[in-house]
Amino acid sequence: MYRFLVYIGAALLLLGATAFGVSLWDGPSAWHTDGRTFWGIPISLFVLWIGLAHAGTLISAIFLALGYPLGRRTSMIAELSTLCSLAVAVLFPLVHLGVIENFYMVVPFLDARGNFSNIRSPLVWDFCCIAVYGMVSALFFVSHLFCEKNPSLKSLIRPMAWLLFPLVLWVHTIVSLDFAVTFVPEWRGAFFPLYFIAGAIYSGLALVIILLTAEHCRVRVLEKLMLSLSWFMAAFWLWEFMLKGTFSFEVVFLGAVVPQLMWLRFIRENTFGRLLVAFSILISLGLERYILVTPSEYDVANAFGWVDLGLVSFSVGLFVLLFFVLRAKLGSLLEGDDVVMGEIVVQEDDTAKTDVPGRNDFTPLRFPLLLGALFTLLYVIWAVSCDNGMVFPLSVENVVPLCLPIFVLVACFTLCAGPLWKITGKRTKIVCIVLAGFLGILAGAFWSGGSSEAPSGAVSVQELTSSKTIEGIWMSRCASCHGNDGMFNEKFVREYYPLPQKLSLERLDSLGADSLVHVILDGRVNMNPYRGRITEDEARGLVRYMRRLAGEEQ
Amino acid sequence: MDAILNALSCLMALGTSMFLWRKPLNVYKEAGILALFLVVFALFSYFTMDASDLAQEYMPFRMLAVCLCFSTTSLTSHKSRYLVFAQVLWLWVEFFGGLTFVYRGLDMPWTRVIAIGSGALGGVFLSHISREMEFMLMVYWIAIWMFF
Amino acid sequence: MDRREFIKACSVIALMQVLWGCRRVPEVSLVSAPELAEFEKEVRQAISQSKGAFDLVQVPMPGAIKAPGASPLNRFGMAIDLDACDGCGKCILACIEENNIPLSPKEQRDAGRFMHWIEMHGGAPTMCFHCGNAPCEKVCPTGAASHSPDGLSTMMYKRCTGSRFCGANCPVGARKFNFVDGVKEGLARKFNPNVPLRGKGVMEKCSLCLQRLQDHKHAHMATLPGTEWRGNGLKTACSEACPKNAIVFGNWLDPKSPLVEAAKKRNLYAPSAIASLDPSVVYMRGRR
Repeated sequence: MYRFLVYIGAALLLLGATAFGVSLWDGPSAWHTDGRTFWGIPISLFVLWIGLAHAGTLISAIFLALGYPLGRRTSMIAELSTLCSLAVAVLFPLVHLGVIENFYMVVPFLDARGNFSNIRSPLVWDFCCIAVYGMVSALFFVSHLFCEKNPSLKSLIRPMAWLLFPLVLWVHTIVSLDFAVTFVPEWRGAFFPLYFIAGAIYSGLALVIILLTAEHCRVRVLEKLMLSLSWFMAAFWLWEFMLKGTFSFEVVFLGAVVPQLMWLRFIRENTFGRLLVAFSILISLGLERYILVTPSEYDVANAFGWVDLGLVSFSVGLFVLLFFVLRAKLGSLLEGDDVVMGEIVVQEDDTAKTDVPGRNDFTPLRFPLLLGALFTLLYVIWAVSCDNGMVFPLSVENVVPLCLPIFVLVACFTLCAGPLWKITGKRTKIVCIVLAGFLGILAGAFWSGGSSEAPSGAVSVQELTSSKTIEGIWMSRCASCHGNDGMFNEKFVREYYPLPQKLSLERLDSLGADSLVHVILDGRVNMNPYRGRITEDEARGLVRYMRRLAGEEQ
Repeated sequence: MDAILNALSCLMALGTSMFLWRKPLNVYKEAGILALFLVVFALFSYFTMDASDLAQEYMPFRMLAVCLCFSTTSLTSHKSRYLVFAQVLWLWVEFFGGLTFVYRGLDMPWTRVIAIGSGALGGVFLSHISREMEFMLMVYWIAIWMFF
Repeated sequence: MDRREFIKACSVIALMQVLWGCRRVPEVSLVSAPELAEFEKEVRQAISQSKGAFDLVQVPMPGAIKAPGASPLNRFGMAIDLDACDGCGKCILACIEENNIPLSPKEQRDAGRFMHWIEMHGGAPTMCFHCGNAPCEKVCPTGAASHSPDGLSTMMYKRCTGSRFCGANCPVGARKFNFVDGVKEGLARKFNPNVPLRGKGVMEKCSLCLQRLQDHKHAHMATLPGTEWRGNGLKTACSEACPKNAIVFGNWLDPKSPLVEAAKKRNLYAPSAIASLDPSVVYMRGRR
């Protein structure tokens, strides 16, 4: 069964791989983009898969936190689907970018030159939230996976579930803000956070139901939730229609009408009937995302090219392949003790209510929460007060969206560090330490970048006097790259251009005055031509000035 | 939106909250009622509010959130937990709704956000909720809705 | 052939392909840069597909920007005289030649998408309005779109990752995205050596002829050191090219600037979508 599904996944992946390659190679011109918003299928797929990535943790963590734990197998399947969907989802923002190699500029990491991503932008929040969500849900999954053998991990799971609970909802809220903060009329939506969360849970439930069908399992409580959510989605779509007049028959039919078939006994009790409903929901939600992302394309069928379809196929194939390969590999670890063959019915009564989560959930959380709160506070104070090279003003509301991810990340790692450290082997420990050191060095190198001494007074007008016109020209035209001492200004140059030559005396000698004048006037490689902006006499003066600068230094 | 309609919307939320969590509890019943309320609130907001008023966008959801807040007072078990959850939901709607308005040129309703936030934070430390306390909380919520 | 051999053979082939891919290919430009006539033809096509007019509302005269770091002396902007403009499109061509704007690929052109920084909306030229409170700058993840102290909404091409969030958030659609590499596709021509050709995958838009401002400032600093630079006597390419003098460039904070002198006798308008965002470029109509 799994082998068959793995083959299907691989086939879809291969079919889509060309489209994926073309998208990476050709950039955004490869797929269809909306005429007004410039966005297209990768963002819709990102929103869809990140939504699907929520159901797993939601089902597992929130049910656990609220004291309705599901069977181990159900929750492990759900968590694995979270991780796989997340892996699929993070690819698409990268595909979406016009200049993929610049993606690191989105990381909010201040370097010595004061270059910083714009943390007012929801895309930066997105990046951070998803990174944190990925890390925390991977930790949760690993702890859950090994907790049968290591009782010390078992006590971590409930507290971690409480940490994941708000994070899951926060992440999708942030995704919804990508749309809701804009001026695009179709994306007006102060209600988008709830709308997106509902959509994410709805589609995620459908996905988990499909995956459980592959396990020959059925969890009725999830089906009930799915049916209930279909009414909420209908209400949301009604509000969308009232507010903006946008309405898609296909979306509403597949997403809100078809699920009502679950009322019929022969559909509900039939595996294929349930699959039909779940797939219909997934298609509806996928279509809904596409319509939302490309608001000025009403004819979706016409807009779709082979690359768009290929990307869809790629995402589905990658997910299926990842999920079922991991499922087959992890096998017995996932299933735990309740290994069952064939169709089982997990009754609602089976998901027995365990003890009410009491204060003892919070006892191990006290110190991590405190530390998390401290780090968050530090971040807020730093972000609001610092003006380190930032050209934009920050206010509290710009800073808040990153608070919860920081808080949860710190708390979660503090919580898990001890117990996980105890159970890892010696070799893993060494690898971890080396990796951490390597990352530290990398971060340090990135931070320092280069000397960031600004050429003091390079542009201060007062220092120039009319008798020093040549020096004035140097200061105003050349110093921004070459530095006011001729030793180039790394602060400016490193970030935006390749390094210019150091103007040492030997180099000036080897070039000769005439060819230097030629370079100044007509440019060379990255040096801009200045003909028309300065005269030849001034260029000669500049050459003399350069020699003076170089001579002073020797 | 003028004060009378605002009061009416609060009253609607209060009135509808009476229908929630009646025994016997059933997923379909509660979800159906909530979805129906959402539709009613949406129709109410659509017909009473001006389309140029940005606040119309999230009005039904604010009403739903405050309705859930009111309804938690009638719960029999886990009252304080769901009290906190309902207020956090309200805070969520107000804060992120406000955040989208900040980017579209309005100011953040900080007093309201802080008032709801402190209510939720206070709820965390409540172990026992008496009838008087419930009444005070309801008055507090109505005050937030009406005046902040 | 058993499985292992097959896999080995496959990996060897893949490795060879990778090596082949890494060989040094001499860079030959197969396509030549387009002629001016093609740009003129594209401008005529763009004007014939003129978009609908904006809904204009009256706005006050722009003042100093209230952000930290904004200059109290300079805020550059333009006013477009709707009574004088006849929509001839000479400004579009002048802008292309000044800023090396590439042609659009044919399918984009047919869909009505052009790279032109100036477009006709209801017969009136429209470019980036350089909003003082610009929505594009707020959502740019890297800070590539940011405000200069002189009141321009600027673009740092090297810092742009092409997320196109700014383009989505511009209420008037002033931002243009480089879907293709203009040089390789034979769509770009470097008319002006002082302006770089933009690479594939970055956003661009009206820069208010930043290079002219920069040159003017440097010339001022070198020749008249110690005095304030207010951009006197400077014109953008479009205002220079306009046969009716309908586009007036200047410094909103300098009472002697031609912009302020022209605007103070007139009623100023801006598209309703951005009127509340403090635009630096406005329309003039009627006499006050």
